[in-house]
Amino acid sequence: MVNLTIDGKQITTSKTSTIYEAAKENDIYIPVLCYAKKLLPYGACRVCLVEVEQMKGRLIPSCTTPVTEGMVVTTMSDEIKKVRKTVLEFLLVNHVVDCPVCDKGGECDLQDLTYEYEVVTSRFEGEKFDLPKDEANPFIERNMNRCVLCGKCVRVCDEVVGYGSYSFINRGFETKIATAFDRGLDCEFCGQCVSMCPVGALLPRPFKFKARPWQLKEVNSVCGYCGNGCTVTLGVKDNEVQTIRFNDETGVNDGNLCIRGRFGYSYVNSNKRLTKPLVRRDGVLKEASWDEAIQTAVQGFKDAGEQVGIISGARLTNEELFLVKNLSKALGTENLDHSGGECYKGVTEGLLETLGVRASTATFPLVEKANAILAIRSDFYETHPVFGMVVNQAIRRNEAKLSIIADKFGKLSKLPNARTLLHKPGLELNVLNALCHVIVEEGLAKTEGLNGLDELKAALKEYSAETVAELVGGDADAIKQTARELAGAENAAIMLAYGLPYTAYSKELAIAAANLALLTGIAGRQGSGLYLCGEKANSQGAIDLAILPGGKGMGAQQMLAAAGSGELKALYLVGEDPLVSYPNRSLVEKALEKSFLVVQDIFLSPSAQMADVVFPAASFAEKAGTFTNAERRIQQLHVGIKSPGEAKTDFAILQLLLKELGTSAPATPAEAFKSLAAETPGYEMVSLDMVGPQGYVWGGDNLEPELKQLVPVAGAQPLADKYQLLVGSALYHSGTLSTHAKGPNAAVAAPYIELGREDAAELQLVNDDMLKLKTVEGEIQAKVKVDRRLPKGVFFTPYHFAELELNKIYSGQPAIAVEPVKV
Amino acid sequence: MFKEFAKGLSITLKHLLPGNCTTVQYPKQKLEMSPRFRGLHRLVPTQHREKCVACYLCPTVCPAKCITVESAENEKGEKYPKVYEIDLLRCIFCGYCVEACPVEAIEMTDAYELANFKREDFNFDKERLLKS
Repeated sequence: MVNLTIDGKQITTSKTSTIYEAAKENDIYIPVLCYAKKLLPYGACRVCLVEVEQMKGRLIPSCTTPVTEGMVVTTMSDEIKKVRKTVLEFLLVNHVVDCPVCDKGGECDLQDLTYEYEVVTSRFEGEKFDLPKDEANPFIERNMNRCVLCGKCVRVCDEVVGYGSYSFINRGFETKIATAFDRGLDCEFCGQCVSMCPVGALLPRPFKFKARPWQLKEVNSVCGYCGNGCTVTLGVKDNEVQTIRFNDETGVNDGNLCIRGRFGYSYVNSNKRLTKPLVRRDGVLKEASWDEAIQTAVQGFKDAGEQVGIISGARLTNEELFLVKNLSKALGTENLDHSGGECYKGVTEGLLETLGVRASTATFPLVEKANAILAIRSDFYETHPVFGMVVNQAIRRNEAKLSIIADKFGKLSKLPNARTLLHKPGLELNVLNALCHVIVEEGLAKTEGLNGLDELKAALKEYSAETVAELVGGDADAIKQTARELAGAENAAIMLAYGLPYTAYSKELAIAAANLALLTGIAGRQGSGLYLCGEKANSQGAIDLAILPGGKGMGAQQMLAAAGSGELKALYLVGEDPLVSYPNRSLVEKALEKSFLVVQDIFLSPSAQMADVVFPAASFAEKAGTFTNAERRIQQLHVGIKSPGEAKTDFAILQLLLKELGTSAPATPAEAFKSLAAETPGYEMVSLDMVGPQGYVWGGDNLEPELKQLVPVAGAQPLADKYQLLVGSALYHSGTLSTHAKGPNAAVAAPYIELGREDAAELQLVNDDMLKLKTVEGEIQAKVKVDRRLPKGVFFTPYHFAELELNKIYSGQPAIAVEPVKV
Repeated sequence: MFKEFAKGLSITLKHLLPGNCTTVQYPKQKLEMSPRFRGLHRLVPTQHREKCVACYLCPTVCPAKCITVESAENEKGEKYPKVYEIDLLRCIFCGYCVEACPVEAIEMTDAYELANFKREDFNFDKERLLKS
């Protein structure tokens, strides 16, 4: 600790702080333009100049100067004021003063400082910038005439996002921020630069000319897309979410968001939303009253007796899931499941068998301090972009060693010094086993307290790095290197994403990852963690609340099969669209056709179109409740807008159903939370008051494993087929919901089939050609996208789009053998 | 006493004579307003469009909250007021909108004959304000 004096106030602060940080901690105001909490100090704007008695004779930039013992700092004097004013005058020489039409007006740092320092005239004259605007993309509008060259966008894109879109070009007066070759911006459009820009040089295009900042009501909530659980602040005006505001004070994401969080909100305002309940009469879905819809649904459930199945989505709040569970009890059925049933088996069964827990063992911020990181499946960044940014920060700040077990390259592979352990499709398990083998063979394993080590050792015999490398087409030395790094690191992280497009051997994969975590001591060690991250906003909540088949109950796949054969009479889908997103379309189609189907959704999804009763539900922006994110952080949602038409929150709909069934239901989500906390392991001690702006992590930062059981898992054999199709997530989308949002659709509007350059050349395909993929079960066709991510013979397609009908050929297998035909 | 009475009455009588009357014969006759008079608002047009850039300062400053602005983007990518309405029944003619305007797009005319028969007719939209 260091003692210093700022403006006569005695301050003790950590020795790594800068003067600015020390002042800020103690509520002493120093103006800044180029400083940002999450970026490294830069010192570009010279607005934060202060006087330090020990360094008399010149002014010191407070944001880059570390504190020293006995320092005496003055933050305001006539001289400082004069210099700051001059700096502002210099900035305003070329800066176009178009505040009336600039959307930043009202929250512009330069505007505020100009007002504060009363810069009403300028002693200098110069030409105003007249640079062309970049409006090529639909997300980020760049107007370099307003730029003050603070470099925040350059730094955030490099330090946090790891994309590196921007750089300073030219010299002197000509200096400006530009993209590669000064062309239009073409990046992953996370909008991090927009949130950082202190002036109006970078603005969100969807919000262009929509409103002034002071007109917006700010509502803190949680993003409804992925399991990362980023807090978002909705900017609400006229009962519409107008934009997502920058807020780095709440949550775990430090103000970082991805394209979905920042630009994917528009579906909540969509005019295609369901506004009235629908009931099928004479074969046609017709608008009905709530009373009629509820009665029809309950009558249908009653007619089915015990033969009712409930499949829930994982974007419901904990409170709503609690009611779903109550409903299943009221209906007397144990057929309850969520998200396809297969995809989360890794957490519910794999981790339970090995570690005795059903959640990630550590929190996201710990990854920032990790020395070695292993990502399983390259899609991790695509499913959880903001967690991916934390990984990037670990690499930049901490020189963490990142390895990726992947069947294709992705964003993570591009990060500095990332090592990609490339393998043929479907062989993740083999590579994980090889890593375990190396650790055991080289005596690096931390074997204390582990059960089943001998069995594992015996089973790992066939998985030496060399054998596996040969089988999967990888590099044995790279595997060994990764294993040594993981075993030797003080803090390490293993990350695996699960979700609907990754249903194959999810349990085995989790077991293999847990084996590795146990051998390296990652599981349960302070600062290290095994992360199993759910695809949807409340995947972890659904598991915590056990939205799972009870004793004799059927899982989702069995339910669909049973419904198809007529055994199950009624199905209730809450926020799920199995027809598009579940594997095996014919099975789902048959099930939905044959059963009495009740669907609760915000859009008339393909599954809802087959329903007998449709309930219009509410989006995340319209409800209160809690989500539990992939690191077990419980966070609160707040009501931002009213639901359109007669749509009700899932909570209200479930209340109505429960009442119609003659059972009581909690009156408010807060009451429901109390009841669910009492019943849910891990939540017992949690009350809503504890769920503050940063949320509340149940089980603590490091969740102690209850078991340390090694379980051998067998690897797979590669498919022999020449062409194989991988199914996964695209960065710009999440589930099927994002295909209703303008933002993600502006980036990727239609399904595509991605292939590598070699394949493209061989098949004589270029971008936007139509390609048909044939299999025994059927065929799909979509436009071609050629790039460098995929190895030869491997195709990739995202699963989000209804029109692709991917599940005609996808039935949960890790890779699909296909025959490409150019159309 | 009589003298004073006669003197006073003579002034009165003098004013009764033609040419000496101070009463303005409204509506046949109208007074010229002072340049500072705050009457009906006018949106200032330029050659192609209204001068207003929809910066939202006037609705923000308006103490009576009688101004409704909705901004949008025109074909040239400029910001313009898609909707600009003043509810004259609420307006208190304080002139803050004129004072706040950074581009001198709104001014107050000397029009004060604002009576009307229907409530809706007191709602002045952009077209009417441009013509006033």
